[in-house]
Amino acid sequence: MAAVATCGSGAGSTGSAVATASKSNVTSFQRRGPRASGTNDSGPRLVSIAGTRPSVRNGQLLVSTGLPALDQLLGGGLAIGTVLLIEEDKYNIYSPLLFKCFLAEGIVSGHTLLVASAKEDPANILQELPAPLLDDNSKKEFDEDVYNHKTPESNIKMKIAWRYQLLPKMEIGPVSSRFGHYYDASKRIPQELIEASNWHGFFLPEKISSTLKVEPCSLTPGYIKLLQFIQNIIYEEGFDGSNPQKKQRNVLRIGIQNLGSPLWGDDICCAENGSNSHSLTKFLYVLRGLLRTSLSACIITMPTHLIQNKAIIARVTNLSDIVIGLESFIGSERETNPLYKDYHGLIHIRQIPRLNNLICDESDVKDLAFKLKRKLFTIEVDFIS
Amino acid sequence: VTLSEGARAGTGRELGMLDSLLSLGGLVLLRDSVEWEGRSLLKALVKKSALCGEQVHILGCEVSEEEFREGFDSDINNRLVYHDFFRDPLNWSKTEEALPGGPLGALRAICKRTDPGPVTIALDSLSWLLLHLPCTTLCQALHAVSHQDSCPGDSSPVGKVSVLGLLHEELHGPGPVGALSSLAQTEVTLGGTKGQASAHILCRRPRQRPTDQTQWFSILPDFSLDLQEGPSVESQPCSDPHIPPVDPTTHLTFNLHLSKKEREARDSLILPFQFSSEKQQALLRPRPGQATSHIFYEPDAYDDLDQEDPDDDLDI
Repeated sequence: MAAVATCGSGAGSTGSAVATASKSNVTSFQRRGPRASGTNDSGPRLVSIAGTRPSVRNGQLLVSTGLPALDQLLGGGLAIGTVLLIEEDKYNIYSPLLFKCFLAEGIVSGHTLLVASAKEDPANILQELPAPLLDDNSKKEFDEDVYNHKTPESNIKMKIAWRYQLLPKMEIGPVSSRFGHYYDASKRIPQELIEASNWHGFFLPEKISSTLKVEPCSLTPGYIKLLQFIQNIIYEEGFDGSNPQKKQRNVLRIGIQNLGSPLWGDDICCAENGSNSHSLTKFLYVLRGLLRTSLSACIITMPTHLIQNKAIIARVTNLSDIVIGLESFIGSERETNPLYKDYHGLIHIRQIPRLNNLICDESDVKDLAFKLKRKLFTIEVDFIS
Repeated sequence: VTLSEGARAGTGRELGMLDSLLSLGGLVLLRDSVEWEGRSLLKALVKKSALCGEQVHILGCEVSEEEFREGFDSDINNRLVYHDFFRDPLNWSKTEEALPGGPLGALRAICKRTDPGPVTIALDSLSWLLLHLPCTTLCQALHAVSHQDSCPGDSSPVGKVSVLGLLHEELHGPGPVGALSSLAQTEVTLGGTKGQASAHILCRRPRQRPTDQTQWFSILPDFSLDLQEGPSVESQPCSDPHIPPVDPTTHLTFNLHLSKKEREARDSLILPFQFSSEKQQALLRPRPGQATSHIFYEPDAYDDLDQEDPDDDLDI
């Protein structure tokens, strides 16, 4: 696990504090061991990679998922080295938004991106990322959005329990400028941000020629190519510590879209007992091994509603770290149900990892609903059910 | 806008949706069954796109070429480019005119054409292709064909490609049908009641909510599309019989209802923790981070506001 202790960084803040203290002779405590400033491997330090922060609960290094409400539900963020699996909604409308927020967060924080898809060209995916809301007016816009929504009807209802009018629908802590940003779903990310970022794309139809014969193998060729690609990027850019990074250490954010769909060459969506039904589970296993030994975090969207064999879904859930299911109300009878009229769908948090812990960090609210307002994607507690 | 609202939309929009199936491009899935066959609708759409001047390619796998061309005028027949895979599907006769690579090779060859302009490809049928090819290969080929215009290639700009696929949904399990419908931009499911055919059209635009509606139609003998209104409503039985809602408060031994006077008395009751309007305004105003805290004191009816100290009367 690429935890905090194993990553030594040159300019840690505590290191400089100790250095100045010893210079001014304020304290007589001497630090034991060699104290060469500015080199690697100077002992455990707080890693100061942009866009990450250590978890307050177990010290894991976390990155933001792009939605501060989702970060709150996952206990602060997505731990580095883990996989976030999103089970797509039926018409695939809301899961691409979460996917894009994750990638946009990577661009804003300056992380390296790796986008893999069999359906769309990664360059097109990057063009459609949502624009970040800048710090000075983001909080104001968010507050006024929430405020406008709450005051008209809540004045009438709460006569006895009027203290609950001010209770926010979702506990969202203050969003600092370095971790977690709000995104405007109606605007596109500025082009200069994309060009300034470092990204790698994997588009399956380009990597595999159409006349390739499928040899009987444990993994489908698409998955093999993707794993090799990810491994190459991790090795060449030094995310696993093999090539010492001369610049500041950085985090690799991997996004894989529609994994398991027939466009990847996998037939778990087509047949119940396919020829290579273990291909996806082996892919996830190898992918997690790659992630655990490098400074990377991965988001995967998967059309689990199409998977025919339910045992595969259970195995995929066990092999992922965090699993979130999106269920949209479109086309179901819940759409006309007046209880759900404010929301667009439900969020099910199916699994939260136990990373170096005995218990996992689950929140106490289980009934969560989401809605995509004009600009923002918000997650709220569903008070009805 | 719920899905049912789309069905109640104005007639102008309703008539337009079946007509504009081909203008959206992408994969159009025609799902038919034994009772409501879809080949006539496929031929009607082929005729419409041929009359619009588009190039039309037919991959005929399920019926013979003569049977498919039956009913079309000669000028339409001259415009159709027919690739015959019915007579010799495995290419045993090894003639030069057979296209290499089977149906998928023919699809790819159509994609590599150089002349611009919209193209319509009719697959008759997708069920035949699903039974003879692995589903994943077929999905990848269909995706490559229908998304060709979105990714700019190195050659001249090619026009929009529409792929009409006829799928007999009773022949396949939920897996392949689900996989193909997730790829399709438009899905037309044929049904109907009492001799009147209907098409339930589900349109998925990328990144937008899917819209659906039901269109009643009939196919004329020359394969023109005749759009109609639905059958009369009163002949349809009600889906749920009218059950009067049961009032749970009718047979209780205590009274749960309030008369008007009682309701007024209740509303005018002063609550113990009185919520005055100025306290409400102060609380609901967004807090500017005030350091001082306010104490709101509203005296009850029983409070004694006498400023004298009552303990003065005590005689100790």
